[in-house]
This record gives sequence, C-alpha cells and structure tokens, in this order.
Amino acid sequence: MTAAMPEARGRMTVVTEGDGHLVIGSALDETSGLLDLLGRAANKKLVLDLAGVTFINSLGVRDWIRMQAAATKAGVHVEMRQVSEPVVHQLNMIVATRGTGAVTSFFAPYACDACGREESRLVDAVANADALVRMEAPPMACPECGQPMAFNDFPERFFSFLATS
Amino acid sequence: MPGDDRSPLAFGESILIVHPDRKTQRTVQRILGITGYRIDIADDLEQALRLLVHAQPVLIVVDGAAVLGDHAAAFFAAAKARSVDACMTLLGGPVVEHVPKLLGLGAVTNLLVHPMPVLAEALTITAHKLIRRDLFGVEKYLLWGTELHAMTLTRASQRADHVARVGEHVRLLGQSARVASMAMLVSDELLSNAVHNAPVDAAGGAYRRDAARDTEIELDAQHQVHMRWGCDARYLAIEVTDTWGTLDRDTILDALARTDVRESGGGAGMGVALAYRSCDHLVFNLAPGVRTQVIAMIDVRYPASERVPASSYNIFVERAP
Repeated sequence: MTAAMPEARGRMTVVTEGDGHLVIGSALDETSGLLDLLGRAANKKLVLDLAGVTFINSLGVRDWIRMQAAATKAGVHVEMRQVSEPVVHQLNMIVATRGTGAVTSFFAPYACDACGREESRLVDAVANADALVRMEAPPMACPECGQPMAFNDFPERFFSFLATS
Repeated sequence: MPGDDRSPLAFGESILIVHPDRKTQRTVQRILGITGYRIDIADDLEQALRLLVHAQPVLIVVDGAAVLGDHAAAFFAAAKARSVDACMTLLGGPVVEHVPKLLGLGAVTNLLVHPMPVLAEALTITAHKLIRRDLFGVEKYLLWGTELHAMTLTRASQRADHVARVGEHVRLLGQSARVASMAMLVSDELLSNAVHNAPVDAAGGAYRRDAARDTEIELDAQHQVHMRWGCDARYLAIEVTDTWGTLDRDTILDALARTDVRESGGGAGMGVALAYRSCDHLVFNLAPGVRTQVIAMIDVRYPASERVPASSYNIFVERAP
C-alpha cells in the first residue's frame, strides 16, 4: 500500500486519507486557503487531523475563523482530531476559532518530576470528557521512567477551549 | 554615588513607590535603592497624590490592585501633569485576573507581573532604562556573553523563511517544540507589522497596510527590517526593529487592551495582541519618526505551570535630549 502524497497549499500540507479525513501539516498562514477545504467535506462532515500543525500566524487564524464560519453556515460539522499545541493555543486565545465543531483529541503538555522529561501527550477528549469538564488533566505515565507525569500548564487556561467546542 | 555632588540624591530626585503592603514596600525599596535615587513611599494613591504636590519623581511604581481603585484617574492625570509618564505596576498571582481591567485604563505604560526573584530583574532593568534614557537593544535583557543571531529582511517574502529558521534554531538550542512555536508566532507577527504597518507616506498614510501579505515586495534600506534573537537559558528574546518609528504608545495600549481579539480575532492590531498573548514579556522601544523596536521574551526557565498566567509589557518612548 502506498502512502498518499501530501498536497502543498502554500506552506500548509494536506493529505487525504482513505476514509476521507484530511491530515493537515506544517504552517497555517496567508497562503493556506483553508476555505477550500470545506469542499472536501463528505456527508456534511469535515474531519481534520491537526497533529502536524506547528505554526499558525494571525492571517492563518483569520482564514481559519472564516472557514469555521462558512462551515457553520453550510451546516458542515468540523471534527478536529489530534489537535497540536500551537492550535490549542489559538483555540484558547480566540473564541471564534472554535466554531461549532468538536475537538475529539488534542495534545497537551506534560512533564515528569522524576526524570525531567517534557512531552506533548495525546489526550482523548471524549473518553476523558468528565475529568476535562472539571479541569482535571488525565493521568499519564512517563514513557522513559514510568513515573506519573504532571500536567505542565494551568488547567483552567489550557482546557478552556473545550468549554464551547 | 549617593552623597556625591553628581548623585541623584544631590538633586533631590526621587522614585515613588505606592503599595499597601509594608513588606512589598521594603522589597521594592531595596531593589530600586541601588539606583541612588531617594525612595518615597505611599500606602495608597490618595497619599501618593499628596506627595506628588511636593515631589517630581522620575519614576512611579504602583501596586496593580491600587491602580484599579477610585483615585486612579486623578493619580494618572497628576503624574502626567508632573511629566512622569513612567508609571509601573506590579501584579502578583492573585490579582492577575485584574490585568484586562488594568489594560482598559489605557494609561499604564509598564506592567510587570513576574513573581520574585524574576520581578527584581525586570524592575531593575525597567528602572535603569527609564532613568538613563538608554532604551534600545535586546542585550539589556540577556546575560553577558549571550550569542545574538541577526537577520535582515530585504524582501517581504523572506519573512516565512526567517520565521522557519528561528523555529529550527530554537529547537537546535534544545528548547521545546512549544517554545519554538511561540518564537515563530511572535517573530512572524512582529516582522509582518514592521513590513506592512510601519511604513507611512508624507501624509502619514500606511501605504502597505492593506497589501496582501503574500505579495512580493523588494525592501530598500528604509524599508528593511532587522531582527535579532538569542537565548541565555533564562529567556529566549526576539528583537525586531524598523526605521520608521510610527508605532505610538496609544496604539499599543489599544492593541494590548483589545478584548475583541479573544472574541473574533479580527481587525488591525491583532498582530500586537497575539504577540503579547504568546510571550511572557513584550517590550516596545519607540523613537518617534526614527525607529520602532519590539522585544519579545519567552521564559524558558520555569515550566508554564509555575509561571504567572499573564504577560508583562513595557512601553518606552525616547525623549528629545
């Protein structure tokens, strides 16, 4: 089986997976043309995997907000999977970026008190919904020493994007 | 030296501290005492207003909570009338929630939110810059020997490459992906502002403000943007300088105070607002009509969970000699 070739849209990359979900990578900025992605929605649903997004600037944010607004207007549900920390940062700073879609999983910062390892860990937002509503970070074990890792931000700040998504 | 004929004490120059807590008064007094200036202390703004009648401090340091009280407007007006525009505020953890209201005053040009001992560093640097009127340069914020990397934008399209290089370099220095991401965001916004918002024509019109950001523009010597960055294991600091000097104090305060950035993310000034929310300390050095320099600092010492969940800022304006 051959992997799908990434499509370059400015500095952003897009890979369409077999089930139709889009894997977005690299930078979201003025060259990304995010609105066009809505045309890839299937059955009024657009699934975006955002694990590979390392950077968004204010023009990328503006484009993202327009895409979310257009999705809402067109009745397209946007599911965001594996949302990277830079995207979470924007979702927390700017309410309008959240749109009416849903975040099903996201990366969050953890640190190990025992060995000092810092890592961005994937959090299942659906399975941990109850704890996240209480602003409690799910427990994680350090992949290096096995000790419990501590959440490495202020929960009230980092999880605030889940309030309306 | 104090007692020396050339010392500030000999000229009766002073610094005024306004804070209700005796211990904090003493701490700030010790920090600022090293400037050689007489330190006057007031417990509240009412008392400070009375002191202002008889003194002309070079610097006023005010507790952030006090700034939100009933006498704030009268106090800032009195300070401005006495030509003291360097009102600083200190905010501790519990009062960080007041930052939006404080920004809304549109009068606080220096806000320091660090806990001790970082506060002492920031307070000392701020005081020295104001007192010595020596404002420019990221070196003032970094430890001796810190290597600074420099780049100049000669074409607008180089912005993306420069930003990517900063991100890669920060990672090579051993910093986390999060720090690299913040550094890229801040660099991009500051460079974009300098290329597109700083240049003005003879009538003061910003002729590149509405140009598409992905349009190629050759930048001559006047339009080139200079960038430096370095990391001293305390801060990653990014400095961006243009040679226009068009950014002004009120525009910055408006941008920092914007609440619609959070709601909609729209409009002009978003770049400054996002940069402020993406770093730990944002410094504006302004020489009107000559140059604007913005320095963003990202704290790499402490994990995010151990820092104050708000950012500091300074707005320094160079005065004519």
